Amino acid sequence: MMHERPILAIEGLSKSYPTGFWRKPVRVLSDLSCEVRENEIVGFLGPNGAGKTTTIKILNRLAFPDAGKVTLFGGRVRDGADVRRRIGFMPEQPYFYEYLTGGEFLRLCGQLCGMSPSKTESRSLELLAKVGLSMARGTAIRKYSKGMMQRLGLAQALLHDPELVILDEPMSGLDPMGRMEVRGIIRDLKAAGKTVFFSSHILSDVEALCDRVIMLHKGRKVAEGRVEELIGAETLYIELVVSPGLSADRLAAAEIPPEAGFAQGALLVLRAPDSGQANRWIAGLLREGCTVLSCVPVKKNLEEIFMERIENPSATGAAS
Amino acid sequence: MFRRIFSIAANTFRETIRNKILYAILAFALFVIGMTFFLADLSVGDFARIIADVGLASIHIFGVIMAVFLGINLVSNEVDRKTIYIILSKPVRRFEFIFGKTFGLSVTLLLTTLAMATVLFLVHLSYRYGGRAEVGIFIASAGIYMELVLLTCLASLFSTFTTPVLSAIFTLSLFLVGHLTKYLYVLGEQSKAVGVRWGSRFLFYILPNLENFNWKNEVAYGGLKSFSILGWAAGYLVAYAACVLCLSCLLFARKDFK
Ligand SMILES: Nc1ncnc2c1ncn2[C@@H]1O[C@H](COP(=O)(O)OP(=O)(O)OP(=O)(O)O)[C@@H](O)[C@H]1O
Ligand SMILES: [Mg+2]
Repeated sequence: MMHERPILAIEGLSKSYPTGFWRKPVRVLSDLSCEVRENEIVGFLGPNGAGKTTTIKILNRLAFPDAGKVTLFGGRVRDGADVRRRIGFMPEQPYFYEYLTGGEFLRLCGQLCGMSPSKTESRSLELLAKVGLSMARGTAIRKYSKGMMQRLGLAQALLHDPELVILDEPMSGLDPMGRMEVRGIIRDLKAAGKTVFFSSHILSDVEALCDRVIMLHKGRKVAEGRVEELIGAETLYIELVVSPGLSADRLAAAEIPPEAGFAQGALLVLRAPDSGQANRWIAGLLREGCTVLSCVPVKKNLEEIFMERIENPSATGAAS
Repeated sequence: MFRRIFSIAANTFRETIRNKILYAILAFALFVIGMTFFLADLSVGDFARIIADVGLASIHIFGVIMAVFLGINLVSNEVDRKTIYIILSKPVRRFEFIFGKTFGLSVTLLLTTLAMATVLFLVHLSYRYGGRAEVGIFIASAGIYMELVLLTCLASLFSTFTTPVLSAIFTLSLFLVGHLTKYLYVLGEQSKAVGVRWGSRFLFYILPNLENFNWKNEVAYGGLKSFSILGWAAGYLVAYAACVLCLSCLLFARKDFK
């Protein structure tokens, strides 16, 4: 079911932090507007200090903006406790009461969310298993490793079965297995009809998971759009794989400059700058009696788009 | 709302009773109070006086140390360690957090005060030259406890906006001034300048008057005349603590967390 209004809408958000008594405050967010729609996975990207955590804090009312507005659940839900009950939040480098065990902490969270003790118990068992902490349920959090804290942070965010899950760097500090598991959990959330908004530095995860991404740089939005659109807009080159490999003079006969190709074992790999060129080359190659094994347009990955947008933020093609 | 305040209070109680430093202070306090047993031998004069001067004073001083030590860290610890992020992202309002923290610590202080009073009671009971069950110890300790609750509220008020060290300094200053407001009033009234008189009256009413909770001497010298003084003190505590807590909540309501 698609709602006309987004589940999370940010309009013109600005935030400055005071730096000292005399100096002028530093601008952390400038006029940020973006939205997250129901049942989407949205990635929130940006280099260190871009303002991701600040935005996420504002969403959770841990900080207050100087200007701008945040509308949650399309304003359908009365602000305050009701909204919070529908949101799960995992802070950056989550920290818990050291004197509690993992199980005790989740029990406290359940109480604060107004869950019944039996519901809390069954949910926490389920979630601890899901994040791989079943064996650490009775261990004092003081003895948890960094990755275990991160996992517990995810468990507490999901305990009350929230509709919107906001995660600040959920993959940081996790081992490759843990990252895989978290990816799986995020996918499961989407499958269960939930909405996920998370910040990350791990672009391959974002590319693999997200429906849309929002890129932030120095507190400004530099890109927003569907992953395919951001990537699809720009083709780097077309890669042809040809068999058998050709000598330099036969390449010249096929009207292909020798620097366009390189040998890869018995095969020849060619990079054509565009599809017209690729087609002319294919014609030449066929005349020379070669077989074209594959012809693939190579697109930029998110990482390259990210670097580009940050270096040249004026080219804000906020495809959306 | 009450359920959430209760959960936070219960968790705060658990936090404080798992605090090793609190146990160290409590152990030392109980040791000192236990030592009054031998003090009675050294001194000439009335044993009741020893209770008033040393035993109850120890309960008072150690209680203040505990209240200030725990109170100044009550809120600032959660902010510094970012544990508050998770709590406030749950359906918990900020005033519920402040109230819960303060109630939790009040329960801890109730237990520690009760422990100290009980030890003093036992010392008195087992006094070798005619011990007796002196209920007055508990009555006087009730006053001390009320004062500790008020100091806790003040410490947590300061800890919402300043560092623990400054909170401790402010709270201890108010503790000292709070026992001297009577003199402030008396001195002020002697002044010829109208401004000074009004100023001192204003301070007298706005500063906490901690002598309201002090009936140690009455207890030591023949018991309380009437229990209405307790009721009056409790009323004063509730009114003053409510004002302080509301002010804390107001200051805390729109605070940005680092
Ligand atoms: N409490 C604060 N006081 C002053 N400046 C702050 C405060 N919090 C954040 N900042 C500044 O705001 C900017 C954005 O910080 P933020 O934590 O939002 O970045 P981020 O995008 O989450 O970075 P990272 O990827 O490193 O987590 C930084 O330049 C930081 O110095
Ligand atoms: Mg961050």
